[in-house]
This record gives sequence, structure tokens and C-alpha cells, in this order.
Amino acid sequence: MGHWLQILVLGLLLGGVYAMMASGLTLLFGVMRVVNLAHAAFILIASYLTYALFEGLALDPMISLLVTMPLMFGLGVGLYLLLFPRIEDSPRYVEMTVLLTFGLALIVEGLLTFTFTGIFRSVRPEYAATSVTIGEIFLPTSQLYASLISFALLVLLWVMLRFTKTGTAIRATMQNRAAAQIVGVNVRRISALSFGLGMSLAGAAGSLLSFMFPFFPARHWQWIALLLALIVLGGMGSIKGAVIGALLLAVASAFVTDVIGPTWSPITFYLTLFLILLIRPQGLFGVKVRL
Amino acid sequence: MAVVDEREGLLEETPGPKSGTMSRRVTLVAGLGLILLFPLIAIPLFDAYAYVLQVGMLILMWIAMSSSWNIIGGFAGYISLGHGVFFAIGGYTAGLALAHWGISPFLFLPIAGLTAMAVGFLAGLITLRTRGPAFIVATIAMLFLFLLWFDNWEFIGASSGLDLPLFQFPVRWLKVPFYYAMALCAIGAVYLSYRVAHSKFGLGLRAISQDETKAEVAGINTRWYKVWAFALSAFFIGVAGAIYGYSLTHLRPLTFFAIAVAARMVLMAIIGGRGTVAGPVLGAILIIGVNEFAVRQLGESALNIVFTGLILVLALLFFPQGIVGSLRKARRLPAFLDWD
Repeated sequence: MGHWLQILVLGLLLGGVYAMMASGLTLLFGVMRVVNLAHAAFILIASYLTYALFEGLALDPMISLLVTMPLMFGLGVGLYLLLFPRIEDSPRYVEMTVLLTFGLALIVEGLLTFTFTGIFRSVRPEYAATSVTIGEIFLPTSQLYASLISFALLVLLWVMLRFTKTGTAIRATMQNRAAAQIVGVNVRRISALSFGLGMSLAGAAGSLLSFMFPFFPARHWQWIALLLALIVLGGMGSIKGAVIGALLLAVASAFVTDVIGPTWSPITFYLTLFLILLIRPQGLFGVKVRL
Repeated sequence: MAVVDEREGLLEETPGPKSGTMSRRVTLVAGLGLILLFPLIAIPLFDAYAYVLQVGMLILMWIAMSSSWNIIGGFAGYISLGHGVFFAIGGYTAGLALAHWGISPFLFLPIAGLTAMAVGFLAGLITLRTRGPAFIVATIAMLFLFLLWFDNWEFIGASSGLDLPLFQFPVRWLKVPFYYAMALCAIGAVYLSYRVAHSKFGLGLRAISQDETKAEVAGINTRWYKVWAFALSAFFIGVAGAIYGYSLTHLRPLTFFAIAVAARMVLMAIIGGRGTVAGPVLGAILIIGVNEFAVRQLGESALNIVFTGLILVLALLFFPQGIVGSLRKARRLPAFLDWD
């Protein structure tokens, strides 16, 4: 019993971080109908930045969040302004965004390989090797911290979307872009902002992942497949769905790892992705959008 | 060569403007002549002979791959990022036949292609239930599922790979049979692409790419059209995988499944012109040519993949119809490039 509870808790901790990684992706899809294949590549930029700050200035990865988040926000707004006005009116817009972000992911991967080489990196602050024990359950300190920060950021995001004027405008744009425009929402500004917001969440995720898992430039393909599985399960564009999908799948993969072995745990994500796309493409909480 | 005769015969029957037919036929004969005589022309290069033939083989391979991808990705408008799977299936089918039964991959090419096609048919049945971006995502999931499987399947050597016996042939001329096998594959793939483009089937695919609902209303069995297009697009990619794998003598899953492989097929088709017959051919020549030049000048580095990505982004933003598409729109498309 204690063993299963242990696995459940580990799965939930990991799920918290996955939820934050996925929330940025699903936000982008919700507001702009962009399937951002480069999301995990952007997360990786932040991981390497955190690595550089840790090696160079011995900056704690959790503090480097304060650097990576605004930087990635700026990068996001910049990329939006540079790329998206050009393709907005394309008749195959959604498909274009997939290919475009695919190209971006290749660029990022290549630049990271060029700068940091292809070998495994990891950030090892003191708490990376310690753990906390509650009753008979043990929690790795790094995962506990990462999970707590992720949930805090998710709550912040929720408060912002729920209770601020900008948040309301973002939600309106998600529901109906044209109608939002009619009632006076500047959808371009909201889109740029959402892109920045999604990217700053990617920045936070990158900093947190840097001390949880070893990483290398081509790693982002595994992560993006994982993230897509989460948000497809939860329903693309639904942040609530992304959180629940993340927790469900993280727990499921933790059990698969325990029962079958770690090699096969990614299969949880790929198979889910496949099955959900076939059986219920709108996901658990998604509205049925014509993709 | 039978293939050559068939292709010429076909062009004679093709209706179309008279002037175009003539110049297309000249291109065809010149192109085929160049492909077939290239190993003879290159003989005076001595030291560089193997290298030049290798580049020639790569160009032919990518012509075959990107022309095949274009059947589903261009004509039908269903972008697949998972076609690396069929490349791997072809490579491993022929490789296993050689390693376990001693059958030469050159004889096994049709079976490698058919196996890839069968897998393509089944994969198509499943993935093509989705549309648009959901389809793209499904094909990525397919790629990763197969990679995970191949990486852990001991029978085929898992992630460390499968060693093949060397092809017994004088070293000086070792590349020649691989070159001709790939030439056959490329000619076959372009011929298939041409036949599809000029058939009722191809017309149906184009209708699907423009408006699937209307196509369905017009009486096209969209499901089977798409699944067959997917399966057909897998055939020559499988054949190319079989030849390429044999030329490497060592099969590793990542050689075939790397996302860069899938990315290149897409990139070449887009640069040249999606949904056209000549587009992927032009794209393959251009990309491999530039890439080889860059590698010779600057050395192999991670910047290669940066350029692949950069060209893709720039092409999508400024040049979404590719060379052939843009020229046609401007009514400047020379007749010898107009194969549609």
C-alpha cells in the first residue's frame, strides 16, 4: 500500500511541473490557434540559460526563474510580431503555424547544439540530491520545490485570467476572436501578450526542469510529444484540461515505469495521444473545434 | 531500360499544349541521359569519384523521398511528419532479409517497398481519421511510437543497431550499383508522382486538399483516397530506405527515424512547390546541392540543422508556393518544368 502511495505522490509531483509546461502551450492554442511545436525547444533555451547562470554565477536555478521568465516573455512578443502578422490571413493558417514552429524548433535545436554541444547537461544545486520524508513517503527535494513553484505559477495564471481586465480579454479572445474584436478587445495586443505569457511559462518550466532531469538539445522532441499528449487529453485550449491531463498522465506513466520499466514509460504518452486523437479529438474538456 | 521507354510513351499520349510537349520531352531525355550516364561522365574525377557518386545517390534518394511524400503532403494536403517510419521499415526489411537469409537487398527492393506500403496502409487507416494539425500531431506520435519500439526490439539489434555483411564488389566501383539502384527508385517515384497527378485519383486528392467536405459531397470516397495516397507515398520511401541502409552496412534506428529526415522531405517539397510534380525534384537537387557545398566549405556542424529550419521558416513566410508554384502564378513557369 505504502509503495503505491509513494508512486502516486511522485507522479503527482511530476504532474505539477508537466501541468505548467503544458499550460503555456494550451494557452497559445486557445488564444491564437497555434500548435507550437517549438514550445519544448523554448523550454530548453531556458534550461540552458539556467545552466549557464549556474555554472557562471552560481545562481540558484529557482532564482534564475526571475531572469528566464522576463527574457522569454520578451522573446515571445518579439517572435509574435516578427512572424505572425505575416501569416494571419493565410487560408491554411493552423497548418502554417505547425510548420513554422517546426522550423523554429529546428533552428533552436541547432543553435543549442552548436553552442553547448550535444552532450548531457544538468544543474546540480545542493537540494538536487536530498529528500524529505513524510511518514513512510519520501519526496525528492528538487521535485517538491519544482512542483510547488509550478502550482504557485498556475494559481497566479488562474487569478490573472479570472480577475483582471486583461485576463478577461484573453478569455474572450479564446472563446470567440471575432466577437472579442467587436466589443473592443485589441486582439493583436492580446495575442502578442499571450505569446509572451506562454513563453514566460516555458521559461519557468525550463529553469525548473534543469535540476530535475539531465538534458541535451534533441531532448525537446520527447518533451513536445509528451506535452502534446497532455493537452490533447485535456482538450486543446483548456487550461483546466491541461492541468488534469498532466496529473493523470504523470501518475499513469509513474505506474507504468514501476510495473513494466522506465524504457516503456513514454509509451503511455504516445499511445494516449494516438487514442485520444482517434476517439475523442476534442479531449476531456475541450470544446469541439474544427481543426 | 524498360522504365525509360514507358515514360517516353506516356508523355506522347499526354494531352496538352504542343510546344510544352516538345520541350518537356527534351528535358526528359536530357535528364534521364544525365542520370544514367553520370557514373561514366564522372570517371575522370578519379579520387573524388566515390564522393561524387555518393552525392549523386543522395540527390536521387531525396528526389524519390520528397516526390513520394508529396503524394499525401502535397496533392492531398495532409502534412505528415512521420514518413521516417517508412524509410526505416524499408531499410530494416531488406537488412533483416540479408542478415538472416542472405538475400541481396537489391533483389529484395520490391518487397521492402511493399512492406513499407502495407505499414503505410495500416498507419493511414488510423492516423487519417484526424485532420489538419491533429493529423500532423498524430504522425509525430506514430514516429515516436515506432522509434521506441525499434529502439527496444532485440531481434533487430535494438538501439545499438544491426550490422550487415559488406557488398562484395571492387572498391573503386563500389558506389556504382547503389547509384543505379537509387536512380531506378527515383525514376520510379517521379513516374508514380506524374501518374498520380494526371489521374482521376490525383484530381480527387487535389479536391480533398482544397475542400474536403465539398469533395465528399461531390462523391469522392475521401477516406479511401487518403489512405491509398498515404500507402502509395510509403512505397518508394521504403525502397530508398532499403538501398540507403545497405550502402551504410549498419542500420541504427536513429539514422532513419531522426526528425531531420522527415523535416527534409517536407522542406524540399515546400521549397520546390508542394503539390506539383517538378517541385520536389527541384527542391531535392537544391537542398542537397547547397548542403553538400556548405559541408565541404564549412565542415559538418550543428549549423546545418539551423539552416534547414531557417530556410523552412523563410520559405513559409515569403515563398509558400515554392519555386514552381510561384513561377506558375506569375505565368513565368518554363514549359520544361511544367509537369502537371
